[in-house]
Amino acid sequence: MRELSKTRQYGLLAIALAAVAVLLFPVYWMVMTSIVPSSLLLTSSPPLVPPLGSTSMDAYTEVIEGRPVLQWLGNSALSTLGAAVISTFISTLGGYSLSRFRSRGQEAMGFTLLFSRMLPGTLLIIPIFVLFSTTGLTNNLWSVILVNIAATVPFTTWLMKGFIDSVPVEIEQAAMIDGCSRLKALWHVVTPLLLPGLAATFTYASILTWGDFLFARTLMSNPQGWTVTVGIASFIGEYSVDWSGLMAVSLMSTAPMVILFILLEPFLSRGMTAGAVKG
Amino acid sequence: MTPTTATATGSGSGIQKESAAKRVGPPRFRSPRRRRSARTRDRLFGYVTLGPVLAVVGLLMAYPFYVAINLSLRGGEITNLERLNDLPLTFDNYIFVLTDPGLLDDIWRSAVYTLGVLLPAFAIGLALALLLNRKFPGRRIFRPLVLLPWAIPGVAVSAAFSWMLDASYGVINFLLRSVGLIETNIAWLADSDTAMTAVIIPTVWKYYPFFTLVLLAALQAIPGEQYEAAQMDGANSRKQFKHVTWPAVRSASALAVIITGIGIFREFDFIFPLTRGGPNEATQTLAIRIYTEAFQYFELGVAAALGVVTMVIAGTVLIAAGRSIRRESA
Repeated sequence: MRELSKTRQYGLLAIALAAVAVLLFPVYWMVMTSIVPSSLLLTSSPPLVPPLGSTSMDAYTEVIEGRPVLQWLGNSALSTLGAAVISTFISTLGGYSLSRFRSRGQEAMGFTLLFSRMLPGTLLIIPIFVLFSTTGLTNNLWSVILVNIAATVPFTTWLMKGFIDSVPVEIEQAAMIDGCSRLKALWHVVTPLLLPGLAATFTYASILTWGDFLFARTLMSNPQGWTVTVGIASFIGEYSVDWSGLMAVSLMSTAPMVILFILLEPFLSRGMTAGAVKG
Repeated sequence: MTPTTATATGSGSGIQKESAAKRVGPPRFRSPRRRRSARTRDRLFGYVTLGPVLAVVGLLMAYPFYVAINLSLRGGEITNLERLNDLPLTFDNYIFVLTDPGLLDDIWRSAVYTLGVLLPAFAIGLALALLLNRKFPGRRIFRPLVLLPWAIPGVAVSAAFSWMLDASYGVINFLLRSVGLIETNIAWLADSDTAMTAVIIPTVWKYYPFFTLVLLAALQAIPGEQYEAAQMDGANSRKQFKHVTWPAVRSASALAVIITGIGIFREFDFIFPLTRGGPNEATQTLAIRIYTEAFQYFELGVAAALGVVTMVIAGTVLIAAGRSIRRESA
């Protein structure tokens, strides 16, 4: 880090502010659209800042009354929570195995996990759809949870492996010498040191599952079972789109992940970059 | 602490004794038989912990992949999976896919979409990483802010841009008209000349944060002395970038480009909600076409064959890219 003069520092600050203004304009425009009445926005030259006294939350109440938005959000929450918790659990165990045991089995699995990222989701969903409809699993939130676990585990296992690699083996060896079994050492000694890794994995899996559209759209044909992304997509392309309502729902679908992201971003950044830089 | 006490207690069984033995002496004094069984148990633990991953990958990826290949090789109407193996084995689906002149167009559009997202996303990501690597007031607040789009669901991003790109009331048309870049509104998503650009823009917005994240980490790993040395040698900032910064971030960049490239190549969440591959197939990439064949025309065999062809294409590009990167860094 080079020391810069005060003027140059403020110059950089100005550039950063300008960049954020441009980059976050879509978010601003979503908020703006959701709180300003459509009549003011459906013109060829819309106001760029909300006119004084015109803002209201009507779009939110209207869209919640008009469509099963809360149900969609609930479905999203359930499938996200389920997939993220299970995925974190599975990938902690798997990451531990990949990190601590370097036998042929682990090597083959590590390679398979990398290869599986090449499978296009649109290809994978075809047999899964056929399999699930044969076994009657479609229109069941578990089907969405299962497929999203499968979609996240290949990456989160590598992510956890990276975090476990950074926990010195000596710590658990010491615990095992003191009479702990491996499982106990993993649970009582390694896991507490893995909290940043668990946070990163949970965040990653949550953001991915919450944002999933392909799997939920294909497996949940019944509107009662839609997740919020499928609900949002159902607005787009309608003959006359309710833009304020659409932006309101989109923001409601964005808020939980943004909060989660801002809280846990440092952990995620650390894990993702450690994995990506190391290769 | 003498080795004799250790061997005496170490040969016994039971955790209590074992731990006592270990406390007094190093584990190498255990009897060979114990050591072997402990090692077997250890290896077993290695496989048990891998079990759930194995189950997930096996049941939800490997087996479906096998079914997909099976589907791609079956002729006739595929309605019931249980009777899939009764259908005749044939290469018809592959012949249909490979002789279809539209395939090249799909491949071309996939390439345009992937590179069209990759290059600007990388450029924006790198510029932001270079900016955030400098010291200035409030720098810590900017990082989560510029990374934010990554957390927003792709479909919500699509919704926002479908509104901003709207032909009549879209704010992008308004802004472009205000600064005089265009005179009349553009129907971004409805015009086959602009539709590809219109689906690329939201995808770039969603993908650039990943580059910022990875490149920023690579930049922060560069020791400051390297810049000081370069400055002493009289290198200007462009030369510093070329000889210090770029070599340090190149391998991280290559890896991030490949990972992201695979992601964009199979991306679904932007094109499908925005245009469904239209207008006039102008945005129909391979990923979109696979989905349409399967879930709109219910041509499961053709869709599966197309999916396998897509994987082969992606794999070939990936191997070529990997090789050229290795050659360059060697």
